[in-house]
Formats: sequence, structure tokens, C-alpha cells
Amino acid sequence: MAAVYKTLSATSGNEKESTERRNKQRVLILSSRGVTYRHRHLLQDLYSLMPHSRKEAKFDSKTKLYELNELAELYNCNNVLFFEARKGQDLYAWMSKAPNGPTVKMHLQNLHTMEELNFIGNCLKGSRPVLSFDAQFEKQAHTRLIKELLTQIFGVPKTARKVKPFVDHVMAFTLADGKIWVRVYQINESEPGKKKPVDGEEMDVDPAPKKKGKTEFDVQLVEIGPRFVLTPIVIQESSFGGPIIYENKEFVSPNQIRSDLRRSKAGKFNSRTEAARDSKIRRGDLGLLSHGGRKKEKDPLSDSVLFA
Amino acid sequence: MAKSKLKAALDNEKGRNFKLERQRKQEKEARKRKAEKPEGKEGDEAEGGVPLDEVELKVAPKSNGKVTKKAKANGVKIATPVEEAEWETDNSEDEASDDDEKATYDLSRLEDSESDVSGDDEEDEEVGETLGAGGEDEDEEDDVDEEHEDGDDIAFSDIESLADEDRADIVPHQRLTINNTAALTAALNRIKLPYGKLSFSEHMSLTTDEDVEIADVDDDLNRELAFYKQSLSAVKDARGLLKKEGAPFSRPADYFAEMVKDDEHMGKIKQKLMDEAAGKKASAEARKQRDLKKFGKQVQVAKLQERAKEKRDTLDKISQLKRKRSGADVTATNEEDLFDVALDKSDKPERGGRGGEGGNFKRQKKNDKFGFGGKKRHGKSNDAQSSADGRGFSHKKMKGGAAKRPGKARRMNKK
Repeated sequence: MAAVYKTLSATSGNEKESTERRNKQRVLILSSRGVTYRHRHLLQDLYSLMPHSRKEAKFDSKTKLYELNELAELYNCNNVLFFEARKGQDLYAWMSKAPNGPTVKMHLQNLHTMEELNFIGNCLKGSRPVLSFDAQFEKQAHTRLIKELLTQIFGVPKTARKVKPFVDHVMAFTLADGKIWVRVYQINESEPGKKKPVDGEEMDVDPAPKKKGKTEFDVQLVEIGPRFVLTPIVIQESSFGGPIIYENKEFVSPNQIRSDLRRSKAGKFNSRTEAARDSKIRRGDLGLLSHGGRKKEKDPLSDSVLFA
Repeated sequence: MAKSKLKAALDNEKGRNFKLERQRKQEKEARKRKAEKPEGKEGDEAEGGVPLDEVELKVAPKSNGKVTKKAKANGVKIATPVEEAEWETDNSEDEASDDDEKATYDLSRLEDSESDVSGDDEEDEEVGETLGAGGEDEDEEDDVDEEHEDGDDIAFSDIESLADEDRADIVPHQRLTINNTAALTAALNRIKLPYGKLSFSEHMSLTTDEDVEIADVDDDLNRELAFYKQSLSAVKDARGLLKKEGAPFSRPADYFAEMVKDDEHMGKIKQKLMDEAAGKKASAEARKQRDLKKFGKQVQVAKLQERAKEKRDTLDKISQLKRKRSGADVTATNEEDLFDVALDKSDKPERGGRGGEGGNFKRQKKNDKFGFGGKKRHGKSNDAQSSADGRGFSHKKMKGGAAKRPGKARRMNKK
């Protein structure tokens, strides 16, 4: 029976193909060495949300990233999502179109994995998400490019192998404060007469009844997780290489922030000790301290000098 | 793209740095321009003796916009229709440092050369930046203009992170922005999906009609609400579009498959929720108990008092009865009789009897006095009960506050 269905659907697909183009994407997901467990869990979460992705073992090198292109070619992937961990705490996400497309390097912050968020939303493994973008993405060239990359990487193509035919979650990308905020929600449909059995969100936006739908349905969203924020840093023209065509000058590296913090602390100590020393010298000059705050000069007539 | 790969490899081997090279090229360009510039300026001045600023304005209209914007931000009125007034304000700013002016001049040329490559976007950005920076000190802005000439400096975006006392001495610079719009659009066009040809069900991506406004990103509730609303509207639109295309949307109730979060995970979440609810309930219960305890104490005290009062009353009554009856048959009656009968008959027979049995009453008193049973001594002295009896006591009288008895003469007079 299944075979019959397959053949039937295959023929219909062939007919369609003549008229319509197909969107084919495969994503290679991998991380560098030195990721923490949270980074690893994020990777796992994304992998489970993206049936068109291929997970690879940790990539060994942090300098020869262009080798990723070959890796992607090996696995027939045309997208690469690479997580680079630095210092065991900072996570950078590289998104690239594998053979020669552009590469975006982003700093990943405010990371919360599904496991630690305890949201009650859930969705089918392998269902396709609706991708929701903020209109601000269309305003600038680099955000337009980033949007396209996000669409191709996180959007699950219809033809992916493990895909399920229903739509039960939505992925939201919002630009705010120069950063991209990512959220994943489950779509929860219920008939308006019935009261919802579960509602995890504290915000109860009353969903307006649908305009077009023949059968009226209440749509509610329940967050699934994970949550993270991306700050674009650099866009390169080719895949993991090539000239830099965009650089974010607003971005301050976490190293810089940490060192500033340290320095500000150190500055406090330095100024204090300096002040203490100055006051000591001043008091010495005023004759308030014995020997003027300096070391006592050796008495030329002392025993130790005379009989040295 | 094999060529670029090869090239990249070659560059890598040579240790070539694209960024540095590019920067150097720009510097060279700027220097060349600078060399050309003085001649042009002199010519202009010879022509009509136009003030320097105007030259600058003529040559680089962008910097003009910048300056006026700056003036606006600083609260200088530009509304005056006379143009010269505006130039004057510029003068007042620029006269402070001639060198600065030169620097801005060079910069404007340099930026122009950049914008040739990158197009209009950068210009817009630039204006926005100056607008944003308008609130800060002028000096700081001038410093920003100087940035390219100074060697030792600090990133502009780092200034906020420094302490206030440090901020004054620092010469800020902005990292050289690279925003090659042409290249970006080219790259975008190269990888872009043909959205016009694809049906919606192929890509399923939606963009909101208006910007998602988030006033304060640190305000968690409103920020999340904005995200929620954005996705909700997207879902509604997507649902309509998919329905129109005939693609399946919602999962039928009898379709079971593996979920992203497995049962174990969901169980954990459920447990967590239940624990949370239980904790809330327990704390509410505890609070209730605490309140009850506080209130209960009062209730208990009141009850005890009431009980004590009741006891006292009954004891009083009993003793009264005892006293009344003591003459007649204190010894004869056993206790139960006394209680029952006495309580029932306590008032009436006695009252009634008083009038009728007048002799008897007298007899009783006499018996009390002269003996006929009972103790004879200390009949009038206080006992424990009478001394504890404070009915006749008045502290007013004790203090002499009571109305004093008038003197004898007055009393006689009253009569």
C-alpha cells in the first residue's frame, strides 16, 4: 500500500517539478573543541529541531576553518553551522553557504537550552517551522544577507528526509539592540469554545479569531526553547575565507569587556595605593613622621659602619 | 570558486592580511588627496575670499549636513533664514581648532572615496551616528574626527564601559567600519532563493509588515511579549497561506510520532511544575497557619477569660445561696439538693417569705447573733471573702475626691 502511495506521490511530484522549483538545503552542524555542556546541549537542541541537518564530530582546528568546506562537501551539505567555543565560555556561531557563499560570524549570548528552560511546549521531531522575521531585517544590506542565511539554514525544506508534513512550531528572529533574538514556540490550536487545558505562557494574548479560516480556531503559542541572542560580527565573502565585506564596529569582544572590568578594579587599587604613598610622603615632608617617611640614613659613626 | 580557494591558500601561506592592506591603500589615497587639496583651497580663497568653512561645505556637502546636525543637537537655533548665521555658528565651533578643520576636511574626502564604493547606505548611517552622538560633548566629537590621525586611541564603543574620571583623558576612535554594500548585495543575490517562483510551502518564511518595536530590551516581559506577538501574527498568516495552497498544517489528533522533547524530559518538566505548584500551595498553607495562630491566640485568651468569668459567676451565686441558706439548713442539705433546689427557688420564695415570715427573719438574725448553732466568735470580723470583696470600695473616696460632707452649720441651714 505504501509503495502504491509512494509511486503515486512520486508521479505527482514529478509533474509539479516541471513547474515549481525545489528548495534543497542540508546543514552540517558541528562545534569546535572546548565547548561546555550548555553549548553541546544547544547543538543537540538545534539538531533535533532541524531534520535536514547532519551532526558531525567536534572540529579540531580553530584556524583552518576552510577545511569545513571539504567536510560539507563530503556530507553533501550546502550550509554549515559551526559553533566555535573560546576560552571555554564564549561561543561564536559561524553560518556559511558551503562551497562559495558568504559566511557570517556571530557572537552567541544569553544561551538557554531546552533542558534548563523547562518550557512545556513541545513539537514533532522533524516538523517544519514557520520562520518569522522582523521587518527590520530588510533595512540594511548585511541584515538582508543574514536573513537569507537564517532562512536557508533554519528553514526545513519540504523534501528533507526525516521531515513530517505538519507545521507545529514557529521560529522567531527579531532584531533589537543590534542583536538577533531567537525564540521557538509551539503552535497550539484549540477550538474557541473549549478552554485551553495548558497555557504555560504568562502572557495571555487573546488571539483574534481567524479571518480566512473556514473553521474558527484559537491559536496560542507555547514556548519550546532554546533561547539565544546573536550579535553579527563579521561577514566574509566566501565560505570561511575571502575578503571581509562587513564588520560590526559596535561589537565589543567579551575579552575586552572582561579585561575592562578587571582593569577598572585594578585601577581602584592602584589609585588607592598611590594616594596612600603620596600622603605618606607629604606627611614625611611636613615632618610629621620620623625620618621623613624615608629609610633612616646610616649613621656614619655606628659600629656596623666603622667595623664593617 | 576553485580560483579563490587557491588564492586564499596562497595568501595564507604568504601571511597576507587583507584588512591591513586595504587600510593602507585608503591611507595612501587620503595622503594623495591631501597633497592635491591645498592648491585647490588657495585658488578658492584667491577667487572671492570665501571663508574656509564654505569651501569645506562646497567640497563635502556631507560634512555640512553633519555640522548643522551637530548644531541642532547642541541646541543652537538654525531656524534663522539668514544663511550666514548658520555659517557663523560653524565658525565659532571650528575656529577653536584650525587643525581640526583640516582633519575633518581630509576625512570627508576620505569618506567620500569610501562611499563611492559602498553606496548610499553608509551615508545614512553616518548621519544617524552623528545624530546619536549629538548629546555628548563637542570635544568628544572632535576627537572622533581626529581619530584617523592619532595613533594611540581607544574604541569609541568602549568609552561607556570606562569609569567617569578616566573618560576625560581618553582619545576615542571608532573602529574602521567595513560595510561593503555592493559586495553584500552581490552575495545576497548569489545565494537568494527565487522567492517569486517558490510557493510559500517551500520556504515558509514570513516577515512582519512593521518593525517590531522594543522600547527597552532589558524589560523582559515586554520584550518577550513583542516576540510572542510577532510569531503569533506570522503563524496566522502562514496558516492562511498554507491552507490556500492546500498544504497540511495542523497535526491530526491521532498522529503520533517522536517529539523533540521525549517523554522523560516532559515528565521532568511536569514534575518540576508540580513541585512548583506544591511549593506554592505549601507556602500558602503555612502562611494561613501562621495567621490562624496569631488570631487563635486571641480567641483562646478570650475563651479563657469567658470561662473564668463563668466560673466566678457560678461560684458567686453558690456562695450567695450558701450564705442565704446557711442560717436555715447548711448542714442538713446535701450538696446536690442545695444546688438544684436552691438554684430553682433562689429568688421567689425568699422574697415572698420575707414579708410573711417577718418573725422568722428576726428570729434568724437573733439566732445568728446570740447563738443557736454555728460559731459565735469573730462574727463581725472580716474573713478572706469579705476582705477580698471590693464592691464598696471606691478609690475616689480614698483620695478624698468624693464630695465632702458639708459642715454642721451648713447642714443645719439646709434643714
